[in-house]
Amino acid sequence: MQKFSFNRRLVIIIVCLIVSFALMTVSVVIRNKRSTPPLIQQFGNDIVGLADRVVALPANGLSGSVSSVSELLNTYQENQQLKKQVSELAQTKVRDQTLAKENKQLKQQVKLNDSLTDYTAISAAVITRTPSSWQNQVVINKGSSAGVQKNMPVMSGSGLIGRVAEVNKTNSKVELITDNNDSANRFAVQITTKSGTTVNGVLSGYKSATGQITMNNITTKAKIHKGDKVVTSGLGGVTPKGLYVGKVAETGGDDYGLSTKLYITPATDLTDLNIVTVAVTKQ
Amino acid sequence: MYRLSKLRFGFPIGLLIMLLLDGSLSHIFSSQMFNYPTVMVSHLVVLWLVTAVLYEENVTMPLGRWAIVAGAIFDLYYTGIFGIYIFIFPLIVYVTRIMVTYISPNFLSGLLIYFIDITLVEGLGFLASRVVHMTVISGSSFLVNTLGPTLALNLALYVILYFPIRWVYNWLN
Repeated sequence: MQKFSFNRRLVIIIVCLIVSFALMTVSVVIRNKRSTPPLIQQFGNDIVGLADRVVALPANGLSGSVSSVSELLNTYQENQQLKKQVSELAQTKVRDQTLAKENKQLKQQVKLNDSLTDYTAISAAVITRTPSSWQNQVVINKGSSAGVQKNMPVMSGSGLIGRVAEVNKTNSKVELITDNNDSANRFAVQITTKSGTTVNGVLSGYKSATGQITMNNITTKAKIHKGDKVVTSGLGGVTPKGLYVGKVAETGGDDYGLSTKLYITPATDLTDLNIVTVAVTKQ
Repeated sequence: MYRLSKLRFGFPIGLLIMLLLDGSLSHIFSSQMFNYPTVMVSHLVVLWLVTAVLYEENVTMPLGRWAIVAGAIFDLYYTGIFGIYIFIFPLIVYVTRIMVTYISPNFLSGLLIYFIDITLVEGLGFLASRVVHMTVISGSSFLVNTLGPTLALNLALYVILYFPIRWVYNWLN
């Protein structure tokens, strides 16, 4: 009788597949549930992050000098445009200061220490970006030792860009709002319409063809106009209230005609990130 | 003589630099490379591994082991999802070694081999991402928006870097 012979290569392939699937599943679960990755992974990431700074520093410096030369060319035009904006800004800033002071005094009177709008900022530099088309992530150079925690919102320039997905000791990964995966955190946002009503909703994804964020779960009948500003509502979690997300670009019904679906133009250019700010809420 | 040559230390250092350069390139040129919906992903690590197989004539290097190390670093540091590239990178080394036995390696046949390798890396990466629900895009838009531009970028990088990398290997050897 012929002896039953195993094809050794096939066995190796199947074992590899099974181990791969098991590892992927475990790491996805860990990533979604735990606040920090396992100690070994954290340690490894910190060391690689350190090595990465050695490579990233000259690379970023080179790109910085190249871009500063190209920026020099349209400085004159930009300067004229910006001058106009600055004069308007000064007015807004003074008013903002007065309002903030008044707000503080009023809060003291009603003995309210921290409301949803209070947060402190940690600024960080972007070291590198994940070279993958499936994950829109950047690695920033601040970690748990600087006070960064998982799920904190991250801003750049004038608007929200994402949330902290993984925290190591000296660096952390930021998942951008352009990331479309299932487990990506959906920010709770609100719109104050021109008539003064507040509309609540949830950011639900990214439409890559037009570069717009989609907002879902809107059930009110309030009229939303193009150009209305979208800010975070501070509901349900670590995101403070009042972080700017973007402007409404287009309104429409959802696939079933039950609720309204909005398309939002993000406030910041999400492909050009150098310095970001992590918003820390006091809890 | 792998043990005595400078390659013993030079190869892993080059591998790490290529790995980190992938991220730096993606960061610096992100407005060009991640111009949604078209996405170009640089795979300099794969280039380093594949060229090592192509230039490996009389010295045998433990490429499989280093590919596993590179894959592990890639998974932990870049994606955070462990278990994808740690299997793909060694597979690429294995497949390239098989192909080299059929086609004698030179500049043009290397281009062909690298084409197949990049297709494998991106294809398997896409399948794995679909399995763990990191992406929901369809296969056809993957072909048009990711695979095509990625192949174009990486083949261009191969053409540009083939001779410089060979010079580095000769210097190390």
